[in-house]
Amino acid sequence: MTLLELKGVSVHYGRIQALRDMSFTVNEGEVVALIGANGAGKTTTMRTISGLLHCSEGKIIFAGQDITKMKAHIRVVHGISQAPEGRGIFPGMTVMENLDMGTFGRKDRAGVAKDLERVFDLFPRLKEREKQFGGTMSGGEQQMLAIGRALMSNPKLLLLDEPSMGLAPQFIRQIFKIIKEINNQGTTVLMVEQNANQALAGAHRAFVLETGEITHSGTGRELLEDPSVKEAYLGVG
Amino acid sequence: MSMTDGPTPLQTAAAEQAAEDREAESKGAGKSALRQRGKRKGGYLSDRWQSLSRQQQWAFLIIVVVLAYLLPLLNPPILTTEPGNNFALACFDMARFALIAVGLNVVVGYAGLLDLGYVAFFAVGSYVAAMLTSPDSPYLHIPYLWTIPVAMAVTMFFGVILGVPTLRLRGDYLAIVTLGFGEIVRILATIIPAMKGQVGFQNVGHPPGTEPGGAPIFSNSNGVPWYWLTLTIIIVVTLLVGNLERSRVGRAWIAIREDEDAAEIMGVPTFKYKVWAFAIGAAIGGLSGALFAGQVGFVNNQKFDVTTSILFLAAVVLGGAGNKVGAILGGALVSYIPLRFTAIAEYKYLIFGIALVLIMIFRSQGLLPARQRLLAYGRTALNQVTGKGGPKPKDTDVPPTAPESRPGLQRGAEA
Repeated sequence: MTLLELKGVSVHYGRIQALRDMSFTVNEGEVVALIGANGAGKTTTMRTISGLLHCSEGKIIFAGQDITKMKAHIRVVHGISQAPEGRGIFPGMTVMENLDMGTFGRKDRAGVAKDLERVFDLFPRLKEREKQFGGTMSGGEQQMLAIGRALMSNPKLLLLDEPSMGLAPQFIRQIFKIIKEINNQGTTVLMVEQNANQALAGAHRAFVLETGEITHSGTGRELLEDPSVKEAYLGVG
Repeated sequence: MSMTDGPTPLQTAAAEQAAEDREAESKGAGKSALRQRGKRKGGYLSDRWQSLSRQQQWAFLIIVVVLAYLLPLLNPPILTTEPGNNFALACFDMARFALIAVGLNVVVGYAGLLDLGYVAFFAVGSYVAAMLTSPDSPYLHIPYLWTIPVAMAVTMFFGVILGVPTLRLRGDYLAIVTLGFGEIVRILATIIPAMKGQVGFQNVGHPPGTEPGGAPIFSNSNGVPWYWLTLTIIIVVTLLVGNLERSRVGRAWIAIREDEDAAEIMGVPTFKYKVWAFAIGAAIGGLSGALFAGQVGFVNNQKFDVTTSILFLAAVVLGGAGNKVGAILGGALVSYIPLRFTAIAEYKYLIFGIALVLIMIFRSQGLLPARQRLLAYGRTALNQVTGKGGPKPKDTDVPPTAPESRPGLQRGAEA
C-alpha cells in the first residue's frame, strides 16, 4: 500500500528551482533511499516532505490524504517524523529533554513510555547518557539522539537526512543496522544518503537524484549493479 | 542492536569509542565549549540550590522576599543611593527595570527572539495609563488601578499586531524590524496631536488611599508604596512566568530558541508560540509602563528612545537570558549602578558596555545562567521505563560531561 506519494513536485528557493517535477512513491513497510551528489536536491526533498519547505507545484499525498498545504507541525501528528540533516538536536537540552520534545504533538501518554523503551532498546547509549546535554555528545551519539527523538513521535514514516554524515566508518555500519531494525519493527523509512553503497545495500528501493530530478530508479540491488550508477556514485567503474 | 551490546568484538567497540571521543573533543574546541563552560559554572549555584531541602529553599526565599520589602526602610548605609538620589524612589526604579527585564526575558531569553524595540511596549503602557487618567486627556477617565489591566491588554494587542507580520522573519531581520517598531511608536507620540508630543500628560492618576494628613499614599515623591506595589507585581508575574516556563509552552519556547526548524518538525506550532511569547512579553512591558506613568505622574515622548530599549536588553543579557531570577537581578543592577554612583552616571553606557564585554568573556550565559527543567510527562515515562521511584538527587550533582563518567573510556582502557 502506498504510504507517501509525490506527484510532480517542484520547489523553488526564490527564483532558483531546486526540485523539478519530482514524482515517486514510498510503500508501507519499505526502506527507500534517495542518493545523489551535493546539491542534487536530497535535503530539499526531505524538507518538502516534512513541511519546512513549500512546493510551488505538485502534490504530496500521505496515507491517502493530500498534505501539500499542511503545516510541518501538523504533519508530525499525522505520522511524518524527520531526523534532520546535521542532526538538528537541541544542544542545550539533555538527552531526555530532547527525547521528550519528540512527544510534543502527542496526546497518548501511555504510548510515550512504550516508545521511550523502544528507543532505549535501539540505542542503549542514550539511556546511559540521559542527563548529558545534547551539544556535548559526539557526532554518532547526536545522530542516535536525532533518530531516537524522531521515533518518539511514533511515526508511520521516518525521514532520515544523511544519517551517516560525519561518522566513523564502523559507526556507519551500526547506524544502518539500526535503521534496518527500526524498519523491521514496522516503521517505513525514507532516507537520503551520500554513502550510496550502504544506502543501496540496505534499501528495498532507491532513486538517484541529479540536479533536482530523478534519473534512475529501481531496487537497491538493481542500482548497485547499474553501471552508470556504479561509476557516478559508488566509486568503481 | 547497539554498539555496546551488539555482536561487534570488544576491540572494535573500543576503537569506535576512541574515534567518537576524538570527534567529540575536536568539536568541543568551538562555540559549544564556551557555551558549556558558562553552563557548568552556573550549574554550581543551581546545584547548590537543588541540594537544599524544600523547607530550606522556602525559608531562604521568604528571608529574601522580606528583606526586599524592607529594603527602602532599612536604607542600608553602603547600598544607599543617598544623598544623590532618594533611596525609596531608586528602589522603585530598580523594581520597574526588574519587571521590564522579566517581560523581555520571556521574548529574548525563553523564545530567543531578539527584540530591540521593547521600549515601544513600555511606551504604550505608559500612554494608556496617562491618557485614561490625566486631566490633560480629553478621553474617558477611569480609576488608575483599572488602567493596569487595560494597559496590559492594549500592549498585548500591540504585541500581536507587531508579531503576526514580523515573526515570520528570523534573527537579524526580526531585530531590525523591532528596532523600527520602537522608533515608530516614539515618533507617533510626537506627531499625533492627541498624544501631545513633548508637552505630554501631567497629573497621571495613582492608586487610591490617603494618609491621615490628607496627602495621597501613592504620591510622586514617596517611592515606598510604589516600590511595594511593584515588588508584589514582580512576585506575582515571576510566579506566573515560572509556571509557563515549566509548562508545555515553556518547552516549546526553549525548543524554538535552540533550533526553530527542529522544533517545528517535532510538532511545535512555532509561529503560534512565538506570537504568544511576544504578546506575553509585551503585556509585562505595558504593565511596567503603566506603573512608571503613575509614579512619575507625567508622560511625554522623551523617555522612550532606542537607547532605553538597549538598556532593557542589556539588563536581560547581563542577568542571564532565559533565567527569570537573573533577569530581575540584571534589571535591578542596570537601574541601580547609575543611581548609586552618580559621579559616573554620565558614563553609564560606557560602564554597561564594558560590563557586557566582561560578562560575555567570563560568564557567557549571564550572571545567573539558564538551566531549564523541561520534562513534563517525559519524566514519568522515564521513571516507568527505568523503574525509578523518583529523580535521584545524587545524579544531578555530577557534571554532565565529567570524563570519568564516560563508560566508553573505561571500556577502552580494559581493551
